[in-house]
Amino acid sequence: MITLKNVSCKMSGKQILDGITATFNKGEIWGIIGPPGCGKSMLMKLICGLYPVTDGDLYIESENIAGMSEVRLVPVRRKIGMLFQNNALFDFMNVWENVAFPLSRMNSGLSPEEIRLKAFERLKAVGLGGSEEKMPSELSGGMRKRVGVARAIITEPPVIIYDEPTAGLDPVTTSKIYDLLNEIQSRSQSVVLTISSDIIGLRSFVKNILFINEGKILYCGPEQEIDHCTDPVVYQFLRGLDEGPL
Amino acid sequence: MTGKLYEMTANLGGFVTGIFAAALSLFSIAMRTFRGVFRFRGRAQGEVLKQMYLIGNRSLIFVTVTLGALGMVLVFQVCLQINKITGDQSQVGPEFIKGMIHAFVPILTAMMLATRVGAGIAAETGSMVVTEQIDALRMTGVDPVDFILVPRFIASVVMTFVLGVYAMVIVIVAGAFMAHSSFGVNYNVFFVFDKVTGGDLFIGSLKLIVHGGAIPIVAGYCGLTTGRGSEGVGNATTRAVINSSLAVIIIDFIISGVGLLTVQKI
Ligand SMILES: Nc1ncnc2c1ncn2[C@@H]1O[C@H](COP(=O)(O)OP(=O)(O)OP(=O)(O)O)[C@@H](O)[C@H]1O
Ligand SMILES: [Mg+2]
Repeated sequence: MITLKNVSCKMSGKQILDGITATFNKGEIWGIIGPPGCGKSMLMKLICGLYPVTDGDLYIESENIAGMSEVRLVPVRRKIGMLFQNNALFDFMNVWENVAFPLSRMNSGLSPEEIRLKAFERLKAVGLGGSEEKMPSELSGGMRKRVGVARAIITEPPVIIYDEPTAGLDPVTTSKIYDLLNEIQSRSQSVVLTISSDIIGLRSFVKNILFINEGKILYCGPEQEIDHCTDPVVYQFLRGLDEGPL
Repeated sequence: MTGKLYEMTANLGGFVTGIFAAALSLFSIAMRTFRGVFRFRGRAQGEVLKQMYLIGNRSLIFVTVTLGALGMVLVFQVCLQINKITGDQSQVGPEFIKGMIHAFVPILTAMMLATRVGAGIAAETGSMVVTEQIDALRMTGVDPVDFILVPRFIASVVMTFVLGVYAMVIVIVAGAFMAHSSFGVNYNVFFVFDKVTGGDLFIGSLKLIVHGGAIPIVAGYCGLTTGRGSEGVGNATTRAVINSSLAVIIIDFIISGVGLLTVQKI
């Protein structure tokens, strides 16, 4: 589904990602972890074609998006639903218009009224029934996250990316969000890539883990086996130790 | 020695390619805006009206006060000087009106709008960049230039023209009032429009329209290339004010020169 071959990204003279090689298949749930600033968000934005790949090949289904023009990227991006780290809700639209926007931009064959109803239904599914007409600025952080989730999944895309879906949320809401993500995933069989710093919560949700440090992959494989990884950075990070290279 | 020379050459090279890249990116935004205008066809009309209202609302009092005051000061100074030489005030009105229409009002209105409208557009688009809203728009297949800049471009062109015409009325009335109250110039003598040619009207309107288009393009470019963080938005806003004012001055200079050589009689 998504294949990265030796993908690198350099911006303003700084190597942000270096030689990333990985494959994410249909139906798989991946957790992307690593220290702050290691390039997790950037990797997701490369997959969306929002930033250019400076070296290597990046395939979405069978298309190599490295060096693709903005116009040709449009249909590729429609296959991806993204929850941004800052939520990125449009502050000039109300909640349901935000959720409906990606769908209204596609040739889905739905009437405006059907799109509105679908947005309302999705908002109810994320526990935000009754807030449809509010503006994003009137919502709490956790509510905004959930609007972001609803917007990422409304088009039922084959690839879903969640950048920090539970950052700043309490344990109860976190577990509710993961339940919701699980339910969406089991229904759609999409590839899910989730970035999170809440390792415990994340590990209960994902089947595979990709560990990045300073733009390089340190671990890429099943979730259970990362405990046996001997890399000192991975070892320290997973156990939250004071002593170590980090 | 060679190392230092190499470093200097490399820096200079980086600077030149930087300027070239910036010019290319500005040009691309301008072209995408023009294309967006031709494909506009009434879509997002509400957005254009809203932006027109915002521009008018932000600038009406500002334009009235500044241009009214400037008109009075200018006429006062001119009349004072003339009193010292010949004392014949009959030509003050006609010459003042002509100069205002083809030269002063277009550049002054545009400079004022560059600070108000330019800063507003840069702050808005810049904060959309840092909150990833621009990325979110691109994810849905929307060109941010089409979506954000085109309505503001249309609104700015229309409103700069409207506010410019309004400013001409204010400046001329304020000037006449000053000439009458301080130097006893009769209103009939002041309000004489025979000096104003078709060329003057054409150049004045052309300037207003071109300035009105240049401001949102330059400001939008500054906003869309915002650096990261809220510091980036601040920088983008400052750059937008400076660069769009500079663009207005340069464009005005060129149109004035071409106008004087072609359609205008001095
Ligand atoms: N637009 C950009 N231009 C230049 N450098 C950037 C840009 N975006 C990110 N970076 C740099 O790339 C590196 C990785 O950033 P990224 O946002 O991917 O980190 P992250 O792993 O998501 O961190 P966090 O866990 O804090 O979100 C950082 O050093 C950052 O400074
Ligand atoms: Mg991040």
